[in-house]
Amino acid sequence: MTDTVVAPRPTVSPAVEPLLRVVDVVKHFSAGVGSSVKAVDGVSFDILPGETVGLVGESGCGKSTLGRMITQLIPVTSGEVVFDGVDITKLRGEKLRQQRKQLQMIFQDPYASLDPRMTVGDIIAEPLVNFRMIRGRAKDVRVQELLRTVGLNPYFNNRYPHEFSGGQRQRIGIARALALNPKLIICDEPVSALDVSIQAQIINLLEDLQREFELTYLFIAHDLSVVRHISNRVMVMYLGKICEVAPSEDLYTSQEHPYTRALLSSIPVPDPRIESKRRLVELSGEIPSPLNPPSGCRFHTRCPIAQVPGICADVEPQLELKGAGHLAACHFSDQVRTKIAVTI
Amino acid sequence: MTDSILEVRNLSTHFFTDDGEVKAVRGVSFSVAPGETLGIVGESGCGKSVTAMSVLGLVQRPGKVVGGEIMFKGSDLLKLSKEELRNIRGRDIAMIFQDPLSSLNPVLRVGFQIDEAMYAHDKIPKDQVETRGVDLLKQVRVSDAARRIKDFPHQFSGGMRQRAMIAMGLSNKPDLLIADEPTTALDVTVQAQILELLRDLNEQTGAAIILITHNLGVVAGLCKRVLVMYAGEIVEQGTVEQIFERPQHPYTWSLLRSVPRIDANRGHRLLSIEGLPPDLIDLPQGCKFNPRCPFRVERCFTESPLLEQVAPEQRAACWVTMERAYAEMGAGSITDTSPGAASGIHPTGRARPAVEVPVAMAEPVSD
Repeated sequence: MTDTVVAPRPTVSPAVEPLLRVVDVVKHFSAGVGSSVKAVDGVSFDILPGETVGLVGESGCGKSTLGRMITQLIPVTSGEVVFDGVDITKLRGEKLRQQRKQLQMIFQDPYASLDPRMTVGDIIAEPLVNFRMIRGRAKDVRVQELLRTVGLNPYFNNRYPHEFSGGQRQRIGIARALALNPKLIICDEPVSALDVSIQAQIINLLEDLQREFELTYLFIAHDLSVVRHISNRVMVMYLGKICEVAPSEDLYTSQEHPYTRALLSSIPVPDPRIESKRRLVELSGEIPSPLNPPSGCRFHTRCPIAQVPGICADVEPQLELKGAGHLAACHFSDQVRTKIAVTI
Repeated sequence: MTDSILEVRNLSTHFFTDDGEVKAVRGVSFSVAPGETLGIVGESGCGKSVTAMSVLGLVQRPGKVVGGEIMFKGSDLLKLSKEELRNIRGRDIAMIFQDPLSSLNPVLRVGFQIDEAMYAHDKIPKDQVETRGVDLLKQVRVSDAARRIKDFPHQFSGGMRQRAMIAMGLSNKPDLLIADEPTTALDVTVQAQILELLRDLNEQTGAAIILITHNLGVVAGLCKRVLVMYAGEIVEQGTVEQIFERPQHPYTWSLLRSVPRIDANRGHRLLSIEGLPPDLIDLPQGCKFNPRCPFRVERCFTESPLLEQVAPEQRAACWVTMERAYAEMGAGSITDTSPGAASGIHPTGRARPAVEVPVAMAEPVSD
């Protein structure tokens, strides 16, 4: 739908070559004759080397689909995914495999993402074996080193996933992702299935590993507090589109999109004094169906400041620069903070 | 506390499994005043849901309430017959669950399911049931209630299903509503709406609410008083301000510092709680939190601390308490949260392992 207009890319510094460049990617899942679910509908962004970019949104907004398209686990309907200078959507077979080596993924469910019939050692070594990187004794040494890196006992390599807790399993998944020395790791809700006290362990581990191995992360989650904690920049997604991109510091103090403001006002803070004063942005209605997204701005059906009928229902806003590294797609972004009163 | 509607005394619930006796809840005592909002927080396996299930007599084999009393309006629920308990359940005490989809019957209309609860008990006159059903759905803010009441659960969104569950729970004007993780399966914007609804309903109907959750933020917004559970026991209780501003148990204190806050400055490191919760079959000696506690002292390994008064209305089960940890162990500035790190106390005869493996992680758990 945006064939001619290329949306501006949220780039922080044009001097550095991005590690990942996503250009106008679209994913439409066919849903019977003549209709399709527009899961991701024209998304563009860059990730610089060493950066952590967060991607938040509610269930069904397309954030996981976007993550999977970057790793080519789901093929794109259109658009480019340029990783390390090569558009991987054009690659097939062995070439794709080789290029994807440095692009790894950590999944949400540490129970479903590990094969219960393989030992932990075999799970972690599988990428090494697949790429014929290493064999025999050297492989065992590498597996033990990886286990130690993620804070597990190196002599657990002969045990099976069921012998481990959720947090420990997530560590195993991280060790597997690290095995090939990747440059970019897509973390898809890596802590949402874990208990509160275990979440902090995994978040700290991911931060330590990033420093040690100069990793770049795309951190996908529905929990804005977690995303903001770990990310340099945060992208907010709504119904298949990115509606705001902001440096993490700015996001809490200045929102340029009404949805971001509503999202922030909904997050409960562990502080009774703040909670007693909380005022919510009441979003009317439910998230519309991605089968038939609203015209114009997709958020206009629930937006507290939308002009309907008017520009919001007719013209789709594009991502525009609002400040240093801060983009938002809203016709009235200058009114977001004055007209939507919240206590956050 | 004579004016409480629910008083749980020394409740213990165990599960008799093939692997051994899982001591899920041990010696839990608390009370709920009329109209009060009480939060029970803790991580999975801490016994918070089992406590609620025990109150309603919903613990099933191999689980069994092995001791204690649950006094509700002057009678001990544990001594009632199944029939007598059924009269109270859904009538005087109602419960809503985490997953609203699996709690609703997919082949029955939502309205039928709301009305069913009222027909089952004789509190609401039969000829008023149907209009009350629509009113309830309106009260929980389902728009176009008169039409939507004829829908099936799959036609409702997640948030609306939870609203329908709440309507069902409120249908017989209960004195107590137990909400077990009511918002965990929902998106944040919907969660905020449901919490606001519960807050308003508590004020309008005067029903007391027990809110069970792992989310500290949710508790801070809704509850006046909080119980913190760990490994089957209450480790701390107090008013919501006391628990969040002056926690005295190291577990409560650590939990609050291990969650990223949306209003916090970026860049600070989370204080994680190292290791894992203990195996409920084979519990550690002494304080159950000692294998993970940075502030433990020698006594923690041998004697179990009891809940002791630490401030008016606040009680904590800890030999050290955070007041002493701040004064003597520099709790305000610790960065290392490994067990015994702040107090320098490690189990006698066991030095800290040379390999970088957290102590409690040395053995995998079996679950």
